[in-house]
Amino acid sequence: MAMGVVRNALRVVCYPPVPLPARRPLSTLALALIPRAVALNLALGAVVGALKLPVYLDSVGTILVAVLAGPWAGIVTGIVSNSVLGLLVSPALFAFIPVAIVIGWLAGVGGKLGAFRSLAGSIAAGLVIGVAAALASAMIVIALMGGLTASGTGLLTIAIRATFGVSVDSAAKIAAVVTDALDKPLSCVLVYLVLERLPRRLGARFRRAAA
Amino acid sequence: MTSALDRWNPLTPLAAAIALVLVAFAGPQPWTPAAVLALSLAIALASGIGGKVTVLTLLVVVPTFALLVLLDAAFPEPAAETRWIPSRSGTLDALAISLRLGAAIAALGVIVVGVAPRRLTRALAARGLPAWAAYLVIASLEAVPDARRRAEDVLDAQRCRGVAVGKGTGVRGRLRALPALAGPLIVGLVIESEERALALDARAFDARGKRTALAPIADPVGEIWARRVIWLALAAAITWRLWEFAHSLVIAQVSRS
Repeated sequence: MAMGVVRNALRVVCYPPVPLPARRPLSTLALALIPRAVALNLALGAVVGALKLPVYLDSVGTILVAVLAGPWAGIVTGIVSNSVLGLLVSPALFAFIPVAIVIGWLAGVGGKLGAFRSLAGSIAAGLVIGVAAALASAMIVIALMGGLTASGTGLLTIAIRATFGVSVDSAAKIAAVVTDALDKPLSCVLVYLVLERLPRRLGARFRRAAA
Repeated sequence: MTSALDRWNPLTPLAAAIALVLVAFAGPQPWTPAAVLALSLAIALASGIGGKVTVLTLLVVVPTFALLVLLDAAFPEPAAETRWIPSRSGTLDALAISLRLGAAIAALGVIVVGVAPRRLTRALAARGLPAWAAYLVIASLEAVPDARRRAEDVLDAQRCRGVAVGKGTGVRGRLRALPALAGPLIVGLVIESEERALALDARAFDARGKRTALAPIADPVGEIWARRVIWLALAAAITWRLWEFAHSLVIAQVSRS
């Protein structure tokens, strides 16, 4: 209901306060970006497949959102991404949601610390994220699948066990680190290159929304 | 796709699937996961999605079992005399792990294959899932085909420009082509998200208050009670297993003293 008052011969109309928006942890910009980032995590598979590279690049969207919109947005992207993967590809991927959370959180923290302002920083962030994600992933594989996944990493685990004579658990951890040590730095470098090419106005909007 | 599960409120099969997964992991091994696997596949068959769920399950279970048996046969315990012959304990362990995994995948596979994600999200939203979380799941599912199509478009466009793709280019050359292929895709999706954010703001996505569903999903009293029974049965099963575990600890303590 509007209320009219007369001040200095000018009519000023005062409106009751507008109700605050619903409380939620993410800005609208982050909310709009996350579905695209999730789709990116899946769509980059086509690019990797065409290039026949020995990497997954299935976390680029998660890392990008985490760097642009903060650790919380990164965590949410990771959860949604693996849930959608679980729904579209295989329910086994639901088990790896904690790995996506680790990636989203660490990338967000790295972004806040300014790691993605330089190429070297991005590679370093990628290595840290890679090792942490690998250990988290290996723990899940050991607990649920006896240390082996039905994929190339499973065969790598057997090869490491055969070559170095280490236990299955250790071989699973080494295999995961070897796989992720290449994948995550490459993902982070890709995110760094994208951030360099992103319109400054858009980058600033994300920073303001995340602040 | 439609299945017999569409007659139910999606929360009921979801509750049943979660309960079955937890029972498969908590119950005595390997009989409980075997029973859960059989039950899940029977439900899938009865719902008309048996083929897809079976394939989904076998794609994970068979390679996992084969790799675990191979690992056991190739690297036996130091005390073992024979190599390349799987041990009984190793095979049983591999079977238990594979059955557990298979039970979880088959139970969740019934939901994944038989319940439309959009319907499941709407049912969850009706039970209190925040609007932004429901939006994220539905919008992500809808964005995936579009992003895949766009990735193919970018690939085709860059091939036309002469970017070398595929084998015969060398790993370094293909790595160098990666930013040219992935860059436009990623930048395009980020820029598009700004327009989406404006559209969300213009449609009062932030508005407070309860939202009404255009097509509410029925939740009959019978199904509400069925879910309560499922949760109660699950709680009882877990309590029983915890009690058994505590009991075995006490017996071990007594026998040691």
